[in-house]
Amino acid sequence: MFKSAASIEKLANRLARLPGIGRKSATRLAFHILKLSREDACELADSIREVKDKVGFCSICNNISESDPCRICSDPQRKQDVICVVEETSDAAAMDKVEGFDGLFHILGGCLSPLDGIGPDDLKIMGLMTRLEKGVTEVIIATNPNVEGEATAVYLARLLRPLGIKVTRIARGLPVGSDLEYADSATLTRAMEGRQEY
Amino acid sequence: MIISKLKATGFRNFASATLAPADGSNIFYGDNGSGKTNLLEAIFLLCLGRSHRGATDTIMVQDENPFYRVEGQIKTTDKNYEVAIAFQRDGRKKVQIDKVSAKLSELYDLFCAVAVGPEDSVIISGSPSARRMFLDIYLSQFRKLYLDDLTQYRKALSQRNAALKQGHDPSPFGTILAEIGARIILGRIQFLRELAISTSQFYGNISRGRSLMLRYEPSVPCDDDTDDLKLITERFLEKLDQVRIREQAVQTTLVGPHRDEIVFSIDNRPARSHGSQGEWRTAAIALKLAVYQMLREKRRMPPILLLDEIFAELDQHRVGGLIECFGQFGQLFLTTAVEPPAALSRDGRSFRIGENRIEGSQ
Ligand SMILES: [Zn+2]
Repeated sequence: MFKSAASIEKLANRLARLPGIGRKSATRLAFHILKLSREDACELADSIREVKDKVGFCSICNNISESDPCRICSDPQRKQDVICVVEETSDAAAMDKVEGFDGLFHILGGCLSPLDGIGPDDLKIMGLMTRLEKGVTEVIIATNPNVEGEATAVYLARLLRPLGIKVTRIARGLPVGSDLEYADSATLTRAMEGRQEY
Repeated sequence: MIISKLKATGFRNFASATLAPADGSNIFYGDNGSGKTNLLEAIFLLCLGRSHRGATDTIMVQDENPFYRVEGQIKTTDKNYEVAIAFQRDGRKKVQIDKVSAKLSELYDLFCAVAVGPEDSVIISGSPSARRMFLDIYLSQFRKLYLDDLTQYRKALSQRNAALKQGHDPSPFGTILAEIGARIILGRIQFLRELAISTSQFYGNISRGRSLMLRYEPSVPCDDDTDDLKLITERFLEKLDQVRIREQAVQTTLVGPHRDEIVFSIDNRPARSHGSQGEWRTAAIALKLAVYQMLREKRRMPPILLLDEIFAELDQHRVGGLIECFGQFGQLFLTTAVEPPAALSRDGRSFRIGENRIEGSQ
């Protein structure tokens, strides 16, 4: 009895280390797993193991991938001279759906955040610099439009501009296809401030 | 703007208190320590989600209670809103408008309130942070974006300070800090420019002819008649560059709106070092009246007005001048230990506050 309680506690402790899961929900999840059929529980354990065994990171762009180089880096149809820099894999997936963009990606693996102890050396910036030597003409910086993402964009722009490569930043403000009437006032005001001449 | 119902649970000295205020004046009688001011605080909290005197949420929770909850109904020119603000000791805070969770800043969009009380003297006599808190509470009611900018600015500031402490290059966050900080500075310039004029008018009225001036002193050098955001941003960056070595030594950001100052002077002498208690009180009241009037014009509705013991320290002719200044006010909440002037108790309702409960009478 006591032994099984200890292993539930161990599982709950493990789950509580996951992002966004507090102690309470970790305990709830642990008891839920306990109630699962043996088959379901093992499938969960197996898929965790499988993810670790099969999925790795692309050695070129740092995207998560089951092959190395990844699907995108090894696609000759894509423009090889344009790289879009994003914070996370999920951002690359979102940008990949953008029509009119068929270049390559580079995943930084986060953004500058001194409060979390994350400096330039903790991001995959060296890998990006190496890639630039192979005839890249434009780097599009698509970090998040928050304080940390903007600071990361500023850092990258300062690093890359002296190399004579065109550096662009995705526009802030109104998402295309959105209705003015549904945009919040902050977005509208920033959009007004950032207006451009035709 | 009118509050028609208020219920406070686990708030300060009230385990549970309900209030059905009148549309006009509401007068709270009670001994010192009965919790009259706490009730004003609950009303301000209902409108704007924070204490009017800078108290933290943890302090506002009743002893040994795990949470506070303040809820009520607020009527504006166009709609009736059901508002609830709740805070749990573990740090979770919830704002609900019409039973839907909302951001704190949405309250600023919908409602406005001005509190006048004894603690206001520190705006004139206290440290610069008291003056910045005044700016933050009241300027946010004029521009919702100011509040958003403040939140972002604080984030950029703590990131930049962390970079300085770790010996990382602080300049990427400096660029962002200057961009957001310049917007805050410009907002303050424009607000104080207008506020200075009506504050000195009100002070002249209440004090029968004496003069009060206020001047904004941003830590980034710029003229107070500028409206040039780009110029302020450039100056901000220049100034950051100038203090770079000193910042590396002290490991903290020395330039920006978090270091700004407002200088008050009474009869051309610095009020902070030369003023008397009475002058500080009067100056602070003039300042709040000016805010009240500007808000009423800008928001096209009279803000909720909270007056905490304002007659206690003022002499008779100042009280007279003060009442002339209020003119058209909307809903008013007033605490007092003495009989208030008749002009302020029109179509009113009185409440006796004692032993942690409220008794109403017509
Ligand atoms: Zn790749």
